[in-house]
Amino acid sequence: MSAVGLTYLTLILIAYGVSSCSSKEKTQRSLKIAGLSLWRLLPLLAAVFGLVGLFQVFLPPELIEKTLGESSGVASLLLGGGMGAVAIGPPAAAFPLAGTLLSAGAWPPAIAAFIVSWVSVGVVTLPFEAGVFGMRYALVRNGIAFGAALLIGLLMGLVL
Amino acid sequence: MSASPSVRTRMLSLLRSQWLLLSVIGLYLWAFHKAPERALEALSVSGRTFGSVILIILSVFGLMGLLQVWISREKVAALLGKEGGWKALVIAAASGTILIGPAYIIFPLLQSIKAQGARWAVITAVLAAYAVKIPMIPLEVQFLGWSFSLSRSLLTILSAIPIGLLVEAIMEWRPSPGGKTLR
Repeated sequence: MSAVGLTYLTLILIAYGVSSCSSKEKTQRSLKIAGLSLWRLLPLLAAVFGLVGLFQVFLPPELIEKTLGESSGVASLLLGGGMGAVAIGPPAAAFPLAGTLLSAGAWPPAIAAFIVSWVSVGVVTLPFEAGVFGMRYALVRNGIAFGAALLIGLLMGLVL
Repeated sequence: MSASPSVRTRMLSLLRSQWLLLSVIGLYLWAFHKAPERALEALSVSGRTFGSVILIILSVFGLMGLLQVWISREKVAALLGKEGGWKALVIAAASGTILIGPAYIIFPLLQSIKAQGARWAVITAVLAAYAVKIPMIPLEVQFLGWSFSLSRSLLTILSAIPIGLLVEAIMEWRPSPGGKTLR
């Protein structure tokens, strides 16, 4: 139970209080949406947190250091961005995995690229995006977003 | 032939939707078979990690519920379709950070914005800023620390508009012998 968590939860509870003062109906709807989306995401969250434990215990830090570490430079950046591009799921699932990799010795720019491309590049959703906006847009946008994820990662290296 | 078709399709859809959970369960079964002690340790690490962020996760979903109800997607869409120029781009980048939902909700929403006359740059800026989730920042901080989370979020937001303009430029660039661009 973290202080951050308690503070955040308190703030949200206050927000719900304010919300219910101005509209009971909307507050109930909010609560229902919150509960439903959490419920729908539960299997994924269970899987991701399960993976975090497996990673920490079974993946040797040397391996992460070797594949995603600073010494591999561009290769680790590409691997981080590539893993993010293939993965789908909400960012809530990306953060625990990213944290595990980071504490095992991964290069922060590679992990930043992993998170950004996790959300903004979608190889799996590409056909869907192409269906909505056309193949040209889907390819251009995902390509640029991937490049941007790598660039943001590199800039992180300068900032941190 | 023993399973009826409906059972089979249900199994298949379960496999397709929960393949990650199923493979993690499979990995654990294998781990418990090979090295029970370490598998148990992995399971307790998982449990402890989850316990340390459960309050944040509950809060994140609570906030997402509020945002979805109080900030209607339709209103954001109407605003983005109507505004032009820099204002639209800034609103796009900002709304990307609070809009929540999986691709199958966001893409049709953006399609309706596009149909209302929004530029490619606006659509793209929403999707680029989408990699920052304001409600989820405490969760990111918990796992990755303040300096990492803040600099990543800031860089992502700042890059949203340039990415939008770049994608728009590529979308509207057509090597035609006569005119320059056509829309």
